[in-house]
Amino acid sequence: MLKVFKYTLIDLARNRFVLGYALLMLFVAEGLFFVEDDPSKALLSLVQVVMALVPLIALVFTIVYSYDSLEFTQLLAVQPIARRSILAGQLLALCTALLVAQGFGLGLPLIVHLPNMAALMLSFSGSGLVLVFTALGLLIALKQREKARGVGVGLTVWFLFVLVYDALLMALMFSFSDHPIEPFVVPLAALNPIDMGRILVMLQVDLAAMMGYSGAVYKDFFGSYGGIAVAAAVLLLWFVVPTLFSFRTFQRKDL
Amino acid sequence: MEVLAIAAPGDTIHVYGEVHEGTITIEKSVVLIGHDGAVIDGGEQGEVVLIKSNDVTIEGFTIRGSRISNLEDNAGIKASECRNTVIQDNFLDGCFFAIYLSGSKGALVEHNTVVGHNVRDDQMGNGIHLWKCNSAIIRNNTVRNHRDGIYFEFVTDSRIIDNISTGHIRYGLHFMFSHRNEYIGNLFRDNGAGVAVMYSHHMIMRHNRFEANRGASAYGLLLKEINDGEVTDNLMMDNTTGLMVDGCNRISVERNEFRNNGWALRLFANALYCAFNDNAFIANTFDLSSNGELKENVMSGNYWDRYVGYDLDHDKVGDTPHRPLGFFALLVERIPYAMVFSRSLFVSLLDRAERLLPTLTPAALQDEHPLMRQQEWVGKADKNNGNAPISVRTMNGRSNDMDHG
Amino acid sequence: MAEPRITFTDVGKRYGKLWALRNLNVAFHPGEVVMIIGPNGSGKTTLIKGLLGLVRPTTGSIAVNGTVIGTDPAYRQAIGYMPQISQFPAALTIGQLLDMMRDIRELDDASIDDRLITDLGLDKQLDKRLNELSGGTRQKVSAVLAFRSKPEILVMDEPTAGLDPVSASKVLGRAAEVRERGGTVLVTSHLMEEVETLADRIAYLEDGHLRFILPMSEILESTGQQRLAKALPELLVRKVATGANA
Repeated sequence: MLKVFKYTLIDLARNRFVLGYALLMLFVAEGLFFVEDDPSKALLSLVQVVMALVPLIALVFTIVYSYDSLEFTQLLAVQPIARRSILAGQLLALCTALLVAQGFGLGLPLIVHLPNMAALMLSFSGSGLVLVFTALGLLIALKQREKARGVGVGLTVWFLFVLVYDALLMALMFSFSDHPIEPFVVPLAALNPIDMGRILVMLQVDLAAMMGYSGAVYKDFFGSYGGIAVAAAVLLLWFVVPTLFSFRTFQRKDL
Repeated sequence: MEVLAIAAPGDTIHVYGEVHEGTITIEKSVVLIGHDGAVIDGGEQGEVVLIKSNDVTIEGFTIRGSRISNLEDNAGIKASECRNTVIQDNFLDGCFFAIYLSGSKGALVEHNTVVGHNVRDDQMGNGIHLWKCNSAIIRNNTVRNHRDGIYFEFVTDSRIIDNISTGHIRYGLHFMFSHRNEYIGNLFRDNGAGVAVMYSHHMIMRHNRFEANRGASAYGLLLKEINDGEVTDNLMMDNTTGLMVDGCNRISVERNEFRNNGWALRLFANALYCAFNDNAFIANTFDLSSNGELKENVMSGNYWDRYVGYDLDHDKVGDTPHRPLGFFALLVERIPYAMVFSRSLFVSLLDRAERLLPTLTPAALQDEHPLMRQQEWVGKADKNNGNAPISVRTMNGRSNDMDHG
Repeated sequence: MAEPRITFTDVGKRYGKLWALRNLNVAFHPGEVVMIIGPNGSGKTTLIKGLLGLVRPTTGSIAVNGTVIGTDPAYRQAIGYMPQISQFPAALTIGQLLDMMRDIRELDDASIDDRLITDLGLDKQLDKRLNELSGGTRQKVSAVLAFRSKPEILVMDEPTAGLDPVSASKVLGRAAEVRERGGTVLVTSHLMEEVETLADRIAYLEDGHLRFILPMSEILESTGQQRLAKALPELLVRKVATGANA
């Protein structure tokens, strides 16, 4: 696994897309910090960019890279090496490459311009989203034989997570606003990894407002450092479950 | 201390490093100055220093040991029905009430450090407590960890200047039925409920900082039933609610900076003839919320960091009005737990749509002349000439050093 | 003949509704080169992929050296595979790719056969990135990978496609060496002329069925032809006429 990881990472380190991603994030982050004279305001814009862009890029890149390296994956699969080692090495390399790119493009500007808890949380959830959507992208690529369809499924998944899920949940909240459905809506929102990442940053940014809200469920759920634990658990789950499915699929897949 | 009995009015008594135990009652006009750590310890008997004469000065003592009581407001220094009392440079350490003035005229309370012992609510009195006083000056004191930091009831024509009031269970500063007072250049931070000004008129509030007052009913500043007031050049930062205005008339809120609050401004619709001009609203979760229309009030020339208009004629004023009351703020008023969707893509799309085509938000509530950039001088609450320079860690991690001249 | 090296027993493979391979029973032995031919879609690739462990048979089993292929990848240590590959990891160099494969196979210098690197003129191009290579050079890299570990089973997919005649004959020469030292070589090719001189037996697949597997000499003898390309049509007509299935 480590050998596959090592050489895949060497390949990814010189991948133009990965470099482009790092530069794009750097450009966006630096641009926002430059345009806004107030760094904490730039952070708020950055939150929205990260929550939309990171899942999209992780998904699409992973899917495209998986299809493009299919022949090479075949070559690896005929070597005396277990399939799970191949997949683990590739997944790990993809995650590492994207995380490093993001650390450079997003983490660095945050450390320079705004070294605080909210920025730390943004880096943390951004990293979590990279892991989650790389895992999902890999699963999609393994499940769909055609590249175009794979990318299509990826875009659909992204759209569901980034917009449709919240829209449905808010519609639910509206239509049952007279019923005590808070205990359902809040945990449901937290099930979406993008929402979870956003809530984590928001618990820092909107802390003042959050403390004005006395809802018990809310507090139980995200209270103090419990929020980070819940978030980490949710993100981990979203990483582990698709990855397990990926391993199962890859183990039986005809290459 | 026995010398007090033989002193003549007008004498000055110097006390060097002595620990006095028990209550001291001063019934003649003397100047009492402590040196080298002079201590007066009431020994939990009741009052510690009781002033019953005009023209008394207490200076330079450490005062402690007033008894906690449910029946009596025992204080570290209490003056009743006196004129021209001066209390300065003392350290009031863990008193039930620290400085208690009732019916006094022309008192000066200056350069004291007042620290309560943070115990239960009912075992804690106010730091500097004034009842039925007038023409008092409370200046350059540091007050920490009491129930109310500074409390005024039926106090008129007095000034509260350059004090630091932090970590109190209830209010950092609390006015009840107190008129024509002003407080300027103070710092109120991390108090259970912030600062409350209630049932008073002709109040001047300038150059103060209201910071980090958080909780379900915590405000930077709560104005309740206030007529004719002026809230100018203040900074409201990191509060659950920056400024709450309930039942007020003719208040002018100008040149304040609202930064990083949950709600910058909460207005009840019963406000009349209030003006909200030239303020800056930055990085608040909500800039404004209200429970109705605000017809007789004006709002103009503010800087809103959420404003997305343009300035084609380059007069630094946006060409389209700004509607500070967003769809999401209204939603959260109705369904509080909707907060979980704060800053999500869907919500920001809805908010943007609402600003373009208002259907839910009241039309009257808008700033016709929103500024494109924040004015330099807005919210500069830096006139604090308090005791020692203190560094305040803010939420966004930068430290704001206060200039204490 | 000795114990077979590779045995296909009742092997069938279905993709969706389509059977790519049906009821295949065949054995390949040490010291022989078998050329597998047939039209596109006849099942050649599936046969090879089954042996390589890339696809799992729907029915039956494949055994290498007497052991049925399962999830244990160890048997592939014996296999050298020369694929037709168009996309290597773009940013790796030839040298890095060779290192990677050596690391994965855990080869030491003694067990490596690197003669082809110099034979094919790759030694001066080790620092070139794989995405800068021509199709021919990629094919050479592919060949090096296959021979490097001195395999006892060599699988070559269209080995001469894209190679210049000199390189092609060098590659085939190495394949002959594998046979000489007792290896089993399986070759699929459309370019029969180049490979037939090497082949000991010819397997012909059609629609997933093995139509026949016959010694080269027997084919030429029975048809009286010198070249496989001429002998094959004749043989197929005859087989259809007699209705025989191998």
